[in-house]
Amino acid sequence: MHLKAPEHQVAGHIAKDGKPGPLVDDKGRFFKPLQGDSRGEIEVKFYESFSSNTEVPDHIRRYFPVYHGTQAVEGSDGATMIVLENLLSKYSKPSVMDVKMGSRTWYPEASEEYIQKCLRKDARSTTVSSGFRISGFEVFDHRELSFWKPDRKLLNGIKVDGVRVALRKFVSSNTLSDTSSKPDSAFASSVYGGSNGILTQLLELKTWFENQTFYHFNSCSILIIYENEAINDNGARAQVKLVDFAHVHDGNGVIDHNFLGGLCSFINFVRDILQSVDESTEN
Amino acid sequence: MLKVPEHQVAGHIAKDGKLGPLIDDQGRFYKPLQGDARGENEAKFYESFTSNKNVPDHIRGYFPVYHGVQQVEASDGSGELPHLVLEDVVSGYVKPSVMDVKIGSRTWYPDVSEEYFNKCIKKDMATTTVSLGFRVSGLKIFDHQVSGFWRPDKRVVLAYKVDGARMALRKFVSSNSLDDDAVPDCAFASEVYGGSNGILKQLLELKAWFETQTLYHFNSCSVLMVYENESGGDDERRAQVKLVDFAHVLDGNGVIDHNFFGGLCSFIKFIQDILESSDNGHENGH
Repeated sequence: MHLKAPEHQVAGHIAKDGKPGPLVDDKGRFFKPLQGDSRGEIEVKFYESFSSNTEVPDHIRRYFPVYHGTQAVEGSDGATMIVLENLLSKYSKPSVMDVKMGSRTWYPEASEEYIQKCLRKDARSTTVSSGFRISGFEVFDHRELSFWKPDRKLLNGIKVDGVRVALRKFVSSNTLSDTSSKPDSAFASSVYGGSNGILTQLLELKTWFENQTFYHFNSCSILIIYENEAINDNGARAQVKLVDFAHVHDGNGVIDHNFLGGLCSFINFVRDILQSVDESTEN
Repeated sequence: MLKVPEHQVAGHIAKDGKLGPLIDDQGRFYKPLQGDARGENEAKFYESFTSNKNVPDHIRGYFPVYHGVQQVEASDGSGELPHLVLEDVVSGYVKPSVMDVKIGSRTWYPDVSEEYFNKCIKKDMATTTVSLGFRVSGLKIFDHQVSGFWRPDKRVVLAYKVDGARMALRKFVSSNSLDDDAVPDCAFASEVYGGSNGILKQLLELKAWFETQTLYHFNSCSVLMVYENESGGDDERRAQVKLVDFAHVLDGNGVIDHNFFGGLCSFIKFIQDILESSDNGHENGH
């Protein structure tokens, strides 16, 4: 089994300083090291529960990575890893964005220390104001023919207007490292719009969240992926996936109002971009 | 001639020489403008809202009508004070059951003082605000068996956890609310919560507006639910939803009120569940 570091990781832990990071194989699988202090355990527990939960409708299941159990992997000191579907294996040149959903990333069951840490981060970012924050993204520049990623520190400091710019840049084709040219939002309709686009998928998820009381997806992200290779001929194959379940708790008969509120806010941002792009093409 | 309202369930009460709202016999409610910025902010909201052409008419109906600010003799004897003059939303009812539900998983908002933030978050964690996205602030229910009102103590209400909130929402539509030993019978669930003009229908209309409106952020606002217990000729409950308490409303600035929206959806789910279980109960002949 040949394992290597994934190419397009935009947020979360990476392999650094001897600490294990995620790995991918050549069979479409993603290996995520189990995090210490019960988070890894919670994530496994979630995937086990979710995989066997017959009340989750099929059309919603597609928004979650397929789970392949856990495995001890050589070369990581026999550390246990969660084996998941590699969400990018079917993409050749994917643009990827990670959006952490919810107006708070903490939850009642967390420790006082964790709550304080989250509160600070939530207040500094757009989490409190907008109900979500962009954790990271990587976009393919069709002119430079290379990937571009914004500086992490810069991204952490953006406010609401910065979010709008980032969401436009994410679907643009023009030189992104050149801050003087305006994002052309060339792929906004192919990625965000259409009967299979991001907006349609998010709206499907929203409907499920209005009723599901199984899980509270604390601190989870929505990953947005689309294909750049031959996008004008073959379309964007845009996908929404939910990821990062280290803090998921039982819903206990209550809907995940935190995630739902943030999701609805995010939907509005995407819709606004789509509408303004439609309006400008009409003109 | 102004008097203390009978059916106030939450907020300041003009009793025993304290400063609080008053009503007249013309269906108007007089809310004293408090010294700090809150009263000013509430008046500012009403002025803006009243003249805001982007608010659809069917949504306007969920807000009390605003009649400006007036100098009125304060309830605590301190002389004339500016008062917000509003529609008294319970004035058309003879024996109203009333419940005040504060919507949102947080009552604080960006840029408040550290002191206010700490006060809010402490209360949000201690009540169902964080867990449910809403909390019951107060209620007054007419009990048909004893022909009297049941009004639990404020401290009891603020101590509700998830089960307590659910039970309060069941009791709200029951005829036997005062009987602590009996299971709430939810006798009026379908008339009050259900139906083509019931609470659920109104909440869903509000929800649709909140999905896209970016005009205002309704921090710390409440949904007031009212219905009639007096049996008239038409047997109508006239269940009403009104949004109240706008002292902390801010501009939306192009972002939806995701905090209110999330809490509202959670509240809707609770009402739906009660309606469903009461429908099932009636089908089974219970």
